[in-house]
Amino acid sequence: MNQDDETLIIQAVEGLLEGTNWEAFQQRVVAEPAFRQSYAEELRLHSELHSMGSDLPETLTLPMENRPRWMLAAFCSAAAAMVTVLLSWLFFQNNNGIGEGGVATITSAEGCRWAGSDLPTVEGARLGIGHLNLIEGMATLTFDSGAEIAMEAPANLEVLDAMRCRLVKGSIVADIPESAHGFTVDAPNLEVVDLGTRFGITANQFGTAHVMVFEGEVEVQKSGETKVHSLTTGKTLVSGFSQIQAPSEDEFPAANTPLGPAPPGWQRITTRDGEGKDSFVRKTHPKPQGNSPLMMVKETELSELNRRKAIVSFDLSTIENRAAITDVELRLDVEPSGLGFASLIPDSRFAIYACHQDDWPEATLLWDSFPAIDPATRLASFDLRRGISASASVKVSSPDLLAFIREDKNHLSTLLVVRETGEFDKQGLVHAFATREHPDAFPPTLMIRTTLQP
Amino acid sequence: MDDYRLEEYLSLCAQHERALHAYVHSLVNQKEDAADIIQETRVVMWKHFASFELDSHFPAWAKKIALNQILNYRRSRKNKPATPLDIEFIEKVAEQMDRQGTVDDHRTEALEICLRKLPATHRKMILWRYYDDLEVDEIAERTSRTITATYRFLSRIRHNLSVCIEKQIT
Repeated sequence: MNQDDETLIIQAVEGLLEGTNWEAFQQRVVAEPAFRQSYAEELRLHSELHSMGSDLPETLTLPMENRPRWMLAAFCSAAAAMVTVLLSWLFFQNNNGIGEGGVATITSAEGCRWAGSDLPTVEGARLGIGHLNLIEGMATLTFDSGAEIAMEAPANLEVLDAMRCRLVKGSIVADIPESAHGFTVDAPNLEVVDLGTRFGITANQFGTAHVMVFEGEVEVQKSGETKVHSLTTGKTLVSGFSQIQAPSEDEFPAANTPLGPAPPGWQRITTRDGEGKDSFVRKTHPKPQGNSPLMMVKETELSELNRRKAIVSFDLSTIENRAAITDVELRLDVEPSGLGFASLIPDSRFAIYACHQDDWPEATLLWDSFPAIDPATRLASFDLRRGISASASVKVSSPDLLAFIREDKNHLSTLLVVRETGEFDKQGLVHAFATREHPDAFPPTLMIRTTLQP
Repeated sequence: MDDYRLEEYLSLCAQHERALHAYVHSLVNQKEDAADIIQETRVVMWKHFASFELDSHFPAWAKKIALNQILNYRRSRKNKPATPLDIEFIEKVAEQMDRQGTVDDHRTEALEICLRKLPATHRKMILWRYYDDLEVDEIAERTSRTITATYRFLSRIRHNLSVCIEKQIT
């Protein structure tokens, strides 16, 4: 039976077909023996469950044992009064994730580092309802329904029940066997219902999510829309992209993220200090991204319009003697971009370039006004391996970077960040780093060590 | 009719209660309508019980009477009386349900065993749908799912139960 017929039959059984739809359905049942048989099969258990009446709550809530039928009958008369109590007991079990010993199992955990998770995080651990926060590595959860969800760090996932989870941020790949068709993933601004397939979802914490079907079919519904999008193999859909914006100042006072004291001998300068600034540009963005909490970087030869590059400026006026600088390290916090998939890109190399145009306007910078990249000023590079070693932050240093910072004449020092590695597929991952507007990750930071002054 | 006959009738009714309920529910969507029809069917069965031969198949006899009651009920309904298509549809589906075999003790027991094996969240959905009689959209709202996700989930639970029942019976 095809997907549409199956859907139609389920809708009919649940009493969701009306008017001409119902008539058309009745006509097919009358005319097509195979369709009729499928309908009768779907109907069978539905009507048997309906016929259980007050035996149902009793069956569902008491442990298995052979009780004589008279007890059952006696219980039933009191059942109506009991139901409320039984239901709340069920919910209690459920909310604690201890009913039936959980709804999923961690079936593999490669090089995993977890943070702030309220669920057990070792391999083989049973999971009830709660949050998993993977900051490094790859982990696979197998839900009791049979659904397999692979999490790629960094990712934050909420387990809701055996047929449902919510992706808060990061990337997952879902592999859904027949036993779990209908498995649902909630993501920012959309809901994905599986129809038997393998699909990926990636999301950032600011409301953007990107779904891609690797094989099979899913139904996607965007928040606030009634239209259900059907996505088949190779198709993608992005939600909430235009909504990316800085969180309001009231909600996340930007300067409040505690950075802690710098190690002895080091000074920490972030893009939040002084006249520091950070942004990124994309060829088709009509709006400047200076107040975005993420700066995105992407290189691709497959879709020129999707290239993105980032720029950061640090205010070094608090460094009294530049010549006394002995070490410089650039730190960037890697954050989920909510766009593209790591499996479609190789391990990626990034480059840092020097830029002498310090007066770039953060509020209005666009692709066309982005400072030119001079190949001769490539200062350093770093690699991000996909998945397995994705780490919370990258640290970059090189003699050229040190020399540039030491010798730069202005109080501002500007660096350009680009990705040098392309992708296999247009839906490849867009990398993102936290900016000074990010509510909970570290902003771009320069760690600077100077020789002690006499 | 003597007391012995009445006892016989009550015993057969009790024994095949689930089968009758399931049959009527498969052909009547509204739970209140189904309850009325079952009630009427019992009355008619008792009236005609004298003509029922004890060694014949009670469930088949009961279903025949129930189907008649369903068709009468639908034809005589004041708002939206049954169209010829409605009648043909009910007859065809009834015929198909007959081929599935009746709910017997084995199947009832298997279903109960399988229900107890369900994860807590699935039990909750089943209770809402089949005991509290919530409609799909009400469950969707309670679980903040879409309607599509909700009916798919319900269908999936039923499918898992069917697979479990088959395993139990064989």
